[in-house]
Amino acid sequence: MPLPDLNALLQALLTGVLIGSLFALAALGLSLVVGVIRIVNLMHGELVVLGAYAAYALVQLTGLNPLLLAPVAALLVALLGWPIERYILQPVVRHGTEAPLLTTFALSIILQNLLVYCAGGDTRALESGLGARRVGSGALGAPVIYLIGALLALCVCAAVHLLITRTDFGRRIRASAEQPDAAAIVGVAVRSYYARTFMLAAGVAGLGGALLGMVFSFTPSSGVEFLLTGFAVVVLGGVGSVKGTLLGGVALGVVESLGATLFGDGYRLFIGLLAFLVFLTLRPQGLFGRSA
Amino acid sequence: MRRAPNLPLLRASLLRSPLLATLLLSALLYGLPFALGPYWQQLGFRALQLLTLAIAWNVLAGYCGQVSLGTGAFVGLGAYAFALGGNRLGLAVPLQLATAGIVAAGFAALASVALFRLRGLYFTVGTLALAEALRILMVNLGAFGGASGIVLHAATPAFHQLYWLSLTLAAFAALLAELLLRSPLALAMRAVRDDEDVALQMGVRSFRVKLGALLLSAMLMGLAGGLQALKLGVIEPYGAFGMGWTIDTVAVAIIGGLGTRMGPLLGTLVYVALGEMLRNLPELHAAVAGVFLLLTIRFAPRGLWSLIARKRAHG
Repeated sequence: MPLPDLNALLQALLTGVLIGSLFALAALGLSLVVGVIRIVNLMHGELVVLGAYAAYALVQLTGLNPLLLAPVAALLVALLGWPIERYILQPVVRHGTEAPLLTTFALSIILQNLLVYCAGGDTRALESGLGARRVGSGALGAPVIYLIGALLALCVCAAVHLLITRTDFGRRIRASAEQPDAAAIVGVAVRSYYARTFMLAAGVAGLGGALLGMVFSFTPSSGVEFLLTGFAVVVLGGVGSVKGTLLGGVALGVVESLGATLFGDGYRLFIGLLAFLVFLTLRPQGLFGRSA
Repeated sequence: MRRAPNLPLLRASLLRSPLLATLLLSALLYGLPFALGPYWQQLGFRALQLLTLAIAWNVLAGYCGQVSLGTGAFVGLGAYAFALGGNRLGLAVPLQLATAGIVAAGFAALASVALFRLRGLYFTVGTLALAEALRILMVNLGAFGGASGIVLHAATPAFHQLYWLSLTLAAFAALLAELLLRSPLALAMRAVRDDEDVALQMGVRSFRVKLGALLLSAMLMGLAGGLQALKLGVIEPYGAFGMGWTIDTVAVAIIGGLGTRMGPLLGTLVYVALGEMLRNLPELHAAVAGVFLLLTIRFAPRGLWSLIARKRAHG
């Protein structure tokens, strides 16, 4: 294995930070659901993929730029999230930990195969209209779409952070997460806030999917990759903290980019998963470590 | 005066004896290919393969409480070990199968060091990550055929032979599971499932108990993967290590009834029947199976078998 030069490593670092921000955005919803509702949401990957497909369908329908349509796609996924939480997940939450877990697994099977049925199994990508346009010098630079995606991801993460920490809505969500019984006593409609949290999570996941769809290609079965990427981010960064998720995303992005530079692009996700498994083994308290 | 033997009573008790019933059933099942054509033989192969996987998964998840989403990893390893054992080492089918089981169980033993540091939901996510990582690795490893996979040198046996092999494997799986459930280990497994911390306090060596269940489960899945390789004649990483194995296994085991003896069998019958009804719409089949899974978890958390068992208990 030839050792890449310093420039290639710097390039990998830059790409990793940019893509990692997108990972963080795609994982934020998972972090919220795990942290607030305390469900390990195995359909999270499908919500991300659904965002990408919703954007794709909207582009076909309107002919507009997917960057403009991404928020609409996010809204559609968020709207789907509400009935799923309210009518499918909530009734099984009290049946222990396995029932909600396997319910989200069943939902992921359903969504994934409905996508294959409706959209076909072909690989798709969202055309941002920016093509291969790059910023920076030839040796060290990045496609413009990476930069835009990362900036948007940062903005959305900041907005969610403010929403959770600074608003009344966020305070109720945090109360429902930390002390559901006490929150209910002081008048927080805990269940309704769980549903809203899930909607928010689904919307952010959908937005992440629409943006990731402009950077990577996707198929209906990409969900499991997004799910595991999301888990890796959440475990690396800690649950329920937006800042942690952002750091976890960037860390994973950098690890994957360096791995891809060293071992070849085919190993990108493998390196990420390996890092995830090693980290999980060394720090098994990972997920529910702390919240908010 | 000697009394004449009570013939009707003797007949009844013979028929009720589990050994005779098993022998009769075996003779019937092994004889089926003489009466049925290739379609049913293939369907039988598939059903018995699912049954094996569900029994294996049920031991680990149903009785020991470790919900794994890593079926694909062990099936895939079994398939590759089978293929490479035949192609590179020139082994015969029985030894190829043994290799498949040993490789899958060996990998499980290695992985257990990391996996069993993870409790509950983390274990589940860990197994999923492990299976995905293996799949990606096999796609990239040129030494094992990369993305295009491996063509088996040996010829594919006839459908009825495959059916017999699959039947033997399922019987082997059922026997092993039964022996395990009658051994003292079964109690320890249930203790770990119900509360691992309490089990540890009571002196149950939970790591060993979980390892035992995982090894048995992985070995059976590896064997099933080996048979799949034998049937297909060609293996590639996307199929061999695919999520499809995990989905099928979980769906069959949950729909039938987690932690019950008859659950895997009932689940297999329902799942295969569902598959045949939706044969021309494979995507919808998986989606409908997902809906079935969803409804079972919601309305019959102990599976369809629990509904039947309850009805029988109430007369």
